[in-house]
Amino acid sequence: MTSKSKIKANRANARASTGPRTVQGRARAARNALRHTLSLPVCSNPALSEEVETLAREIAGPDANAETQDLARQVAEAQIDLRRVRYARHKLLSDALADPWQEVLRSLLRKNAPNPPVLMALNPTPQGPHKFATILSQQAKQLLAMDRYERRALTKRSRTNSP
Amino acid sequence: MSFVSRKSKNKTKVGTTSVSGQAQRLAQFGPPLLLEGEDAAACDEFLARIRAAVDPVDIIDDMFIADVVSLEWEVLRWRRLKLNLIRTRGLKALESFLAKKLDCDLYYDLYSEHFAADLTKILQDNLPQDEADPAQTLACRCAQAEADAVDKVNEILRSIRRNMGFEGYALDMNQILHRAQAHKAEELVQEYVRGEPDAVTLVHELLSGAGVSMDALVADELQNRDYLDCIERIDRLTTIAENRRNASLREIDRRRVVLGQALRRGVQEIEDAEFKVIQTTPSKRKDAA
Repeated sequence: MTSKSKIKANRANARASTGPRTVQGRARAARNALRHTLSLPVCSNPALSEEVETLAREIAGPDANAETQDLARQVAEAQIDLRRVRYARHKLLSDALADPWQEVLRSLLRKNAPNPPVLMALNPTPQGPHKFATILSQQAKQLLAMDRYERRALTKRSRTNSP
Repeated sequence: MSFVSRKSKNKTKVGTTSVSGQAQRLAQFGPPLLLEGEDAAACDEFLARIRAAVDPVDIIDDMFIADVVSLEWEVLRWRRLKLNLIRTRGLKALESFLAKKLDCDLYYDLYSEHFAADLTKILQDNLPQDEADPAQTLACRCAQAEADAVDKVNEILRSIRRNMGFEGYALDMNQILHRAQAHKAEELVQEYVRGEPDAVTLVHELLSGAGVSMDALVADELQNRDYLDCIERIDRLTTIAENRRNASLREIDRRRVVLGQALRRGVQEIEDAEFKVIQTTPSKRKDAA
């Protein structure tokens, strides 16, 4: 059995190693869930919530009973969620296509590269399909995360929409 | 990358009735998500053709149609990207192959003009203004391999390098020749892409002379790990979009089956109510008989 002193020490150690310590670190961690807001439910956004209601009314029709209305709301919620994920992914790609070096520079700065502008000068800017392919590889992690959100919304929609 | 609408002769007839109602319904699914260089008109046309073919009965049908269109557009995007990527990498490989092949006296005539032009520019940029005019003559004579001109140019280049230090490392006769070869190779590739007969013949000659083909150059490129990763990533994205598009198509099919069954039931009920079973009564004539 674990002794009381050991438990006390474990608790003290755990308290000392939980989460970011600096003000900047805490501020950054606090914004984690808000980075693309896709983890938040659609209904937490009033504007989207209103769109869900409008779409649900359209799906259910005028003389729908409570059960149909509820199902329609679930379909509408999944549909608006899906649209939100696709917009986020589209924004990510179109922003990067408009200014791909911005992200490269940021990643170099993150890696504490000695002289990012010099490194950028040595690597010529990719153009055309290479530019797009470079973006896909730079944003692979983000795109994968968004794909998971899209899959989740699609599953929810098709589950609700089944007879 | 761009998507241009192709005018097909066998187009599905696009319905024009209740356009505002349809537009209102489709607006709920948001505008098409196009990237830089994609043709919005082609996407709209595609959506209109799909809607005309499917003929949606309610908003759920519209939802799946919007899905199919958006996912098919994505499939086309990824396929085109992959094709363009392979094509440009192949042409880049051809360009370096040609540049290497041109590094031979046999083909000097092909790039001697580029060499003279590059040399003239270097001499004009680095010689005093009053000597700039003879620079062109000197470069042309050097390009024609006149010994005294070659010596003089070499001397000038040496002095320029001495003055410029590290930055002047490229001002060497061989470097200038290589640049001219690379320039000519780039030009040849562009002409080859445009299908200019002379360039096509020369490229084919050089390729067959070396015992390689365009496909072999492209395959060599695939050995590059980064490039292969890129192609695989695009293939994955294509597969995901294709699977989701097919799932939406299956949903439309399933809904049509359900709709068909419901319609059949409805028709049957209406027919049952409309027509009563006529009781067979014994015929008088028969009785009489």
